[in-house]
Amino acid sequence: MQTRRSFLKFGASAATVGALAPLTAHAQSNQVEWDESHEVVIVGSGFAGLAAAVEAAKLGAKDIVIFEKLGVYGGNSTLNAGQACFANTDLQKKLGIEDSAELMVQDQLKSGRGYASEELLRHSAELGPYIYQLTKDCGCVYRDHIINTGGTSATRSHQVIERSGAGFIRPMLKTARSYGVKTKIRHKFEHLITAKDGTVLGIQIRKGYHFSHEDSGKLINVKAEKGVLIATGGFGANVSFRQALDPNLGEEVGCTNARGATGDGLVAMLAEGAMPVHLSFIQSGPWASPDEGGFGYGAGFSLYNFPHSIAIDRNTGQRFMNETADRKTRADLEVQRRDKDGNPNPALLIAPKHEAKKDPSMENVLRYNVAWEFDSVEAIAKHFDLPLAALKQQINDWNQYVKQGEDPQFGKRMNMSTGIYLTAPFIVQRLWPKVHYCQGGIQINTKAEVIAAKNGLPIPRLYAAGEVSGGVHGVSRLGGCSTPECMAFGVTAARSMMKA
Amino acid sequence: MKLITPLIALVISSAIASTAMARDQREYHQMVYDSGCKTCHDQGLKSFPSDTACLQCHDMSDLAKQTARKGHDAKQNPHDSMHYGQEAPCMECHGEHTKKQAICMDCHNFDYPKFN
Ligand SMILES: Cc1cc2nc3c(=O)[nH]c(=O)nc-3n(C[C@H](O)[C@H](O)[C@H](O)COP(=O)(O)OP(=O)(O)OC[C@H]3O[C@@H](n4cnc5c(N)ncnc54)[C@H](O)[C@@H]3O)c2cc1C
Repeated sequence: MQTRRSFLKFGASAATVGALAPLTAHAQSNQVEWDESHEVVIVGSGFAGLAAAVEAAKLGAKDIVIFEKLGVYGGNSTLNAGQACFANTDLQKKLGIEDSAELMVQDQLKSGRGYASEELLRHSAELGPYIYQLTKDCGCVYRDHIINTGGTSATRSHQVIERSGAGFIRPMLKTARSYGVKTKIRHKFEHLITAKDGTVLGIQIRKGYHFSHEDSGKLINVKAEKGVLIATGGFGANVSFRQALDPNLGEEVGCTNARGATGDGLVAMLAEGAMPVHLSFIQSGPWASPDEGGFGYGAGFSLYNFPHSIAIDRNTGQRFMNETADRKTRADLEVQRRDKDGNPNPALLIAPKHEAKKDPSMENVLRYNVAWEFDSVEAIAKHFDLPLAALKQQINDWNQYVKQGEDPQFGKRMNMSTGIYLTAPFIVQRLWPKVHYCQGGIQINTKAEVIAAKNGLPIPRLYAAGEVSGGVHGVSRLGGCSTPECMAFGVTAARSMMKA
Repeated sequence: MKLITPLIALVISSAIASTAMARDQREYHQMVYDSGCKTCHDQGLKSFPSDTACLQCHDMSDLAKQTARKGHDAKQNPHDSMHYGQEAPCMECHGEHTKKQAICMDCHNFDYPKFN
């Protein structure tokens, strides 16, 4: 007999596999023809999936598999800037930085604007030093310098020497394999296979999948003995999905995410009745450039230069924001820069070369046509068709603010630009926000169990970790705070599976 | 006669191309076309070749040496990159019958002058 819910479940799964009839959306284990069986099944090869694999192996799991739909491993994680906020590490102590998990939770609660989960944040922050050590044991190497990121009350953003998430992903992948973890590319998770009572038995996988060829490869059923961890990341790269949630985030807004960030895992869990949380809280990065794809080199350049530079509207030749406000405030203002016909007219970040050259990002943006050098205000005005007098006035005013240490125009914190005057030659980069991070996702608890919408109870043997989960950070995640959280809940999911 | 053979091959293969999927082809792969589609299409003609198909003739570590870059740019070696090492499968960036670009270009304006 089919209840309304089981009918819905069947419908959702049938839609995913198209004309090829699914075995069943829910079945008895002995009714399913299993092509493979593994002790621990992990979907997604980013921070969450890899941390889970390493931890499960350490806890004695003998048969762990990671399925990755793309041809390459690492998703958003390997594109990441390599920053991770940890509180109370030996490196912080060595550098004389006082910090605590509690302080980190308080900072994040503030930026979550009342929507963050204190419980999940605390769980993640307390695991921080463990994760820090786990990554070092995998062979990740941190810089000696810890970075100060926005919204934090202690310096805690640890960064791997590559300054890229690749510095985590590659050693972790190697470590996982050294434990015998099987890692498979071109294996796309299609949907969950559940028993009548909702218990997750396994998953259906499209083996031999090529991205954007939805019918490539063939379907196989994979049994999960201990459970399934969905670690498929966010949905930032799925334009129709994100635009349905936030009408401002259509095609013309770029995206920093990997191609695979399309929300598959989220949709499949919704189909099984999981609880969605905060899906509309989607963060755009205000430091991005429209003159390259993704995160590129421009993000690093503007992040370094925002404190002592100005962002200019091309119609007015004037500033339009506090260049160091939080991500959302800036991204919302940047996307309003338009020409007379309403088309995007990206703002200009004008930085003084004498300061910009202190960071390696300058060489990269100049070399790859993401920013350009100008030797006078006149040259900038001419090249970008700006009102010269207004721009000149703005630069003079700004230099006055630097001198007096106060920004009456937008209230920017000026102690970061003390003595750094905006003088020629200038380096100019265009600014246009890009969709960056999904605060929302599927609800989990501190055991990384997925919560059912109908009764608030865990769905048996279903776990989620990383960007696919939601509600941890609330309205706005702080920089450097996703890396540790993805890994903490990956580790937690492994512990839960090995205990169950 | 020798000059004509490739021409004939071209005519024949373009006749095949109009019925099958094949469109563009690299001239230097002529030998491979001559030995039949299955040389690469090792999983059936309607499927993508496996990721080991190209590696029957090409060697990733040799390619990595050929495209090596120096200093800071060393990490931009498409066959041994900072993000993916030597693990990115050929078809992530190259297409025999479809135009593609290196996945690096999703985020970077790198210059790969010999890319094809
Ligand atoms: C450019 C960039 C820079 C960032 N910098 C930082 C930073 O410095 N510090 C910080 O804390 N955060 C940063 N973030 C955020 C952070 O990197 C991400 O939130 C995090 O990497 C997500 O990890 P994850 O394991 O949840 O997902 P991902 O790393 O995205 O991994 C998910 C994987 O699952 C795969 N997948 C998806 N669907 C399927 C399917 N159906 N079947 C099989 N596999 C599937 C994907 O292809 C992907 O490889 C950054 C993000 C970006 C995009």
